[in-house]
Amino acid sequence: MPRIRVGTEDSIQPGAPALVRHGGVEVGVFQVDGEFRAYLNRCPHQQGPVCTGPTTGTLAAARATGWKLAWVLDGRVLLCPWHTMEFDLLTGQRIRGRGERLRAYPVEVSGGEVFVTIGRPQVEPSQGRQCVG
Amino acid sequence: MTLTHRQPLGLDDVVVVDCDVHVDDPPQALAPYVDMPWRRSLELLGRAPQRYLDIPGYAPTLNIDPPVPDRSVSTRSVHTARQMREELDELSVDLGVLFPDNLLRIAVFPQADYAAALGRAYNAWLADVWVQRERGLYGAVLAVPQDPRDAAAQIRRYGADDGFVGVYLPVAGLRPLWGERCYDPIFEAAEEMGLPVMLHSVGLIHPNFPFNLDHMTSRLVRHPIQHEFALMANLFTMIGSGVPVRYPDLDIVFTEGGVSWVPFVMWRLDKEFAENPTGAPLLERPPSSYVKQMYFCTQPVEEPERPRDLAAMIDLFDGRAQVLFASDWPHHDFDHPRKVLHMPFDADLKRKIMGENALRLLKLPAPVPV
Ligand code: FES
Repeated sequence: MPRIRVGTEDSIQPGAPALVRHGGVEVGVFQVDGEFRAYLNRCPHQQGPVCTGPTTGTLAAARATGWKLAWVLDGRVLLCPWHTMEFDLLTGQRIRGRGERLRAYPVEVSGGEVFVTIGRPQVEPSQGRQCVG
Repeated sequence: MTLTHRQPLGLDDVVVVDCDVHVDDPPQALAPYVDMPWRRSLELLGRAPQRYLDIPGYAPTLNIDPPVPDRSVSTRSVHTARQMREELDELSVDLGVLFPDNLLRIAVFPQADYAAALGRAYNAWLADVWVQRERGLYGAVLAVPQDPRDAAAQIRRYGADDGFVGVYLPVAGLRPLWGERCYDPIFEAAEEMGLPVMLHSVGLIHPNFPFNLDHMTSRLVRHPIQHEFALMANLFTMIGSGVPVRYPDLDIVFTEGGVSWVPFVMWRLDKEFAENPTGAPLLERPPSSYVKQMYFCTQPVEEPERPRDLAAMIDLFDGRAQVLFASDWPHHDFDHPRKVLHMPFDADLKRKIMGENALRLLKLPAPVPV
């Protein structure tokens, strides 16, 4: 399966993903909390170009805070530009969704360079904590 | 028996008629088409800084929500017929029915002369620079509720043009609702010209029911009221005053409300009618039989956990011939045609919803492949 060089580690900053294309497949490569993730640039909702949306946070409220609104997951939420569905960049899962998830691809860093393997997408999403609310 | 393997229908296999797409209609674009003193008004508005669908005196609303970071990404507009054609091609839409952006709020103006002037200007501008200026772009004549006689004259004038295939009835902020007898000239003209009336609402906070939503905390709770509740309220009044009885050849279309409220409306009205037939004395049959003759656009298409429930829902109102695809392009909650095409409908129903029902209703020939 093709292993594509995306760029140097420094060239992929939080909130500024790199888009790479291989054989008709477009993948967004993100840095979040110092880790790298790669996702298919196609939203599970209506196939919008999800990786071109902004990286942001979201609003949540929990019993522990007396249901006061809080801004959470800042820098970890990818917002689809079509209908603004929210995805957790660390896990690829839709936040507060029905189990929808972005299709993830393996990313590795080697010698300061970031590589993504575009072929069969990873079946399991990358590990990460889900901590909305 | 031989089983043949059938490929699922793709967007290239069906005619796609989109019953709701929106053109950007800034005041400066309409200014040359409007009479004085309103021309000067629009020129002034055109020079002032403009916010998306928020222009005092032109597209007024009450903006009470703080902006949530990054949530203002969906403010797409379509500025020219060429841009619309290119974007509809991108979406695999063959034919589109054009509605305004800003003038979705035209019903709120208390100054009837101003509203009527805006309506005339919009129709003239639409005919001049949009309708059939590119392949497959069709217009809906804006019927200004504040001046039904003027609206009727507009319907007769533009309805004679092949490029206009419907009459747009604004819903947001409307008072009284469309069932009131004061609007009869509009229904008469639409029926006479063989044009369906197409009700269309929009997000708005306004004292008129059901837009008196200033106490509600978010767009999420307001939005379904601004669309589906508003459409229902209008449908109730139209049934109550017997619009479908008095104008039996008039087709009535509801846009931007999806379809899942239709069974509720039918059954609720039938129940009410059984108890209180004198409340709608013009009806010759239970209300549901009239509702089943109306048309309902898909957008925002329901996305139930079990998609087959949507097919069942359409069956509940015998809607196979009454449901019309709409995308609402380019608005934030638009539906891509493939979303509707990929619903678990049978192939015949897919063809009907995606385009055949609309071709029949709008009396349009099937587009020639390009
Ligand atoms: S396509 Fe991404 S939210 Fe709809």
